[in-house]
Amino acid sequence: MKNKLALGKRELNTAQVTLRFRLIRTAISLLLGLAVAFLLILWVSDNPMRDMSNLLVGPLSNTHRIAVLVNMFVPLLFTGTAVSLMFSAGQINLAAEGAFFSGAVVGTCVALIPGIPFVLHFLLCALAAAISGAFFTGIPALMNAKFKVMTVVSSLMINYVALFAGLYIILNIVRDPTAGFEASYKFQKSAQLPVLIPGTTIHVGLIIGFLMVFLGWFIQYKTGFGYQYRTIGKNPRFAKFSGIPVASTLVAVQMLGGAIAGIGGATEVLSLYDRFSYGGLTNHGWDGIMMAVLARNNPKYIPLAALFLAYIRTSADVLNRTSQVPTEVVNIVQAVIIIFIAAERFLYGWEHRSIVKLSEQRLEAQNEQLQEQ
Amino acid sequence: MYRVDVLSMEGITKIYGNGFIANKDVTFTVREGEIHGLLGENGAGKTTLMKVLFGQEEPDDGRIVLRGEEVKIANPLKALELGIGMVHQHFMLVDSLTVAENLVLGIEPRKGLSFDLEKAIQATEEISARYKLPINPRAIVDDLSVGEKQRLEILKILYRGANILLLDEPTAVLTPQETEELFKQLTTLKKQGYTIVFISHKLNEIKEICDRITVLRKGRVVATADVCDVTELEISKLMVGRDVDLQIQKDEAKRGDTVLKVRNLEYINNEAMKVLKKLSFDVRAGEILGVASIEGNGHSELSEIVSGLRSYTDGEVQVCGQEIRERSIRALRESGESMIHEDRMIYGVSPEQSISENIITDRFYKQPYSQKGILKKQTIQETADVLIDDFQIACDGPTAPVKTLSGGNIQKVVTAREFSANPKMLIACQPTRGIDVGAAELIREKLVELRDQHRTAILLFSADLTELLTTSDSIIVLYDGEIVAYFDDPKAVNESILGEYMLGLKRHSEAELQGVIYEK
Repeated sequence: MKNKLALGKRELNTAQVTLRFRLIRTAISLLLGLAVAFLLILWVSDNPMRDMSNLLVGPLSNTHRIAVLVNMFVPLLFTGTAVSLMFSAGQINLAAEGAFFSGAVVGTCVALIPGIPFVLHFLLCALAAAISGAFFTGIPALMNAKFKVMTVVSSLMINYVALFAGLYIILNIVRDPTAGFEASYKFQKSAQLPVLIPGTTIHVGLIIGFLMVFLGWFIQYKTGFGYQYRTIGKNPRFAKFSGIPVASTLVAVQMLGGAIAGIGGATEVLSLYDRFSYGGLTNHGWDGIMMAVLARNNPKYIPLAALFLAYIRTSADVLNRTSQVPTEVVNIVQAVIIIFIAAERFLYGWEHRSIVKLSEQRLEAQNEQLQEQ
Repeated sequence: MYRVDVLSMEGITKIYGNGFIANKDVTFTVREGEIHGLLGENGAGKTTLMKVLFGQEEPDDGRIVLRGEEVKIANPLKALELGIGMVHQHFMLVDSLTVAENLVLGIEPRKGLSFDLEKAIQATEEISARYKLPINPRAIVDDLSVGEKQRLEILKILYRGANILLLDEPTAVLTPQETEELFKQLTTLKKQGYTIVFISHKLNEIKEICDRITVLRKGRVVATADVCDVTELEISKLMVGRDVDLQIQKDEAKRGDTVLKVRNLEYINNEAMKVLKKLSFDVRAGEILGVASIEGNGHSELSEIVSGLRSYTDGEVQVCGQEIRERSIRALRESGESMIHEDRMIYGVSPEQSISENIITDRFYKQPYSQKGILKKQTIQETADVLIDDFQIACDGPTAPVKTLSGGNIQKVVTAREFSANPKMLIACQPTRGIDVGAAELIREKLVELRDQHRTAILLFSADLTELLTTSDSIIVLYDGEIVAYFDDPKAVNESILGEYMLGLKRHSEAELQGVIYEK
């Protein structure tokens, strides 16, 4: 009897075992990554202890570094959420990169218009950026719905359309010839986002980023629309047979993803800079894909994934500045960790044995009950 | 007659990645030269056990002893080397090649560097004659009947030197006539000293052909017996663990107005084949119209057309007086149509999502399941709880992913959703295929309940003729895209009469066929 009670308390279902293993897998991946880092540092560094501690806690050692960390973190919230939504619908749409860039360009254009009140001005910039972001992820979505063009290819290509169209606008229409370098005119003060914590560069974009994460999570798991595209993502033929309008839902969710990435682009330029000066793609969209994979397309986990990536990149920055350890070392570490976390079958044997044991325990408990009856 | 044990599997345990215990301590012994029936409901672990034996699944525990020696069977090649061959439920043939080419696939005779077709044909003729299993070596597999394809599968493993044959539900796809033919062939093989393991859940067949049986239930062996010592009723009780009513209780249908009206329906597929030819029939409120046909005679296409999944070439299809052409599936469902597709894992459920998420797919956007676009979690859970209870779905609760359920329980999720929509019209395609006796019984009862309580018009497609005969109020037979028979009283026919029409050996006169058209 005692035995059974104890069992009842510890009883996990298979899904919980799977979740537990996901956590174990993440922890072990981090440890493995750090072990690799340590070995590499030992090899290239003349002061391994200092460099190792810089790698581990460097990003937190002063406010400037914390601000760098946060500013790397913010854009990942937008693009990570954007890509998570599109991937949840089963659509490998890679245009978040272009959507982010176009959002920055269009946001810039609107930010140059004088005479709009503060707050409203930023909202208008964000709205325009959202529309242009939605446009760039929506085009491949529509081409897939209408003509069965592979989204992977068309969305990849459209990033360059966004890039060069954007650069054309910046360099020919809104270029400031007096800037001394290739950049737009200065933004109106009314459009720029204020600093959140005085004395640092941490800005209001952080809050907007979290808002987007929440919005993405809420839409995905709490609304009918989210249910609709998740079902399509899991089994499109079932969704169709159940009466879900597949094509229109897919176009809508991809436009939503692009809109979020676009707002991210506008937020980024209007908070960190006083004029548009990107000369190429920002890579935040590609990072968004990595975020989505690490977070398993659930926006809820995007902040964790983004924190990890931003943290390790800030470490790289610190190491680069304070030692002769090259940034590449940190890139290797980053890759090792991500590969292990993303590896579904890493530690699979262990997981399977636990599940076998669990099933047998449960069976025994059932038999005991039967015998008592 | 005493026979020696040729093969024994001892203490086999197999647990799948999702924690499902497919086999637990299974001990299974086969004697030389017998036909051994392996029985059990779906999900009882029959196929898993055979896959372990054929080297397709690795057991977590246990050993296999073949002719007194312990063997490790790592893959199907090794199994064949040891003389164990398996015919899968779904054929593993290359449809575009000839019979002879399929037979020698992988071990082709050669002439220099090239393939020697003449030798392959010769080999096919020889083996076909030796085992008295006639087949045309030059025929393209695509043109063969299901029965012939199966014969080829058997020849294939014989050619590879198998002397223990594992047949996974070989009769599931055959007509009664073809089944009889197969049984004759199996008996011949038995006389030549071959050992056969025969998987089925059709009790009459087991009684007819097997020497001994092993019954599995929930992954364990519940009995091994000589077939002559047990009755069909006893076997079914062993399989299900309780008494089963093999007959279905239902009253005479009280028919109302026409709900589904099909006139001169024609369908030409992408290969320019005329799959459906001038079909006309009616299904009326409160009646179950059964459709009998052999695979490939147009029933899949017909069911998809009336479900709105496939467009048609010509003719009329009306549900409740409205033409369905150009209408979305959601519109059809809104107007009171429900449908069960024959391919349950693709069209019936989303396996990775939870039971409750699978139960609301056709209605999540409506009150009370959502309000202003936001899902009402509480209501959805409650609905799922009620349906799980009502349809006796064995599960860990409404949040369990559907893929963790057994086949029968997955089908209960599908029927729970479709039946609870209280449809005016229900298209039920193979609603009990491949699921256990208990679940099938429940689904048939629910069908009749729907007919009587909601006056639903039901179009039932089924390959299980017993089910068709006991559940339907009238039956049509589809052969080569045409309706060739109409029976207004299923009690007046039996399986072999139906079989003759399904094979195209007989057909009703035009006047008799007019019976299925209610609105002239």
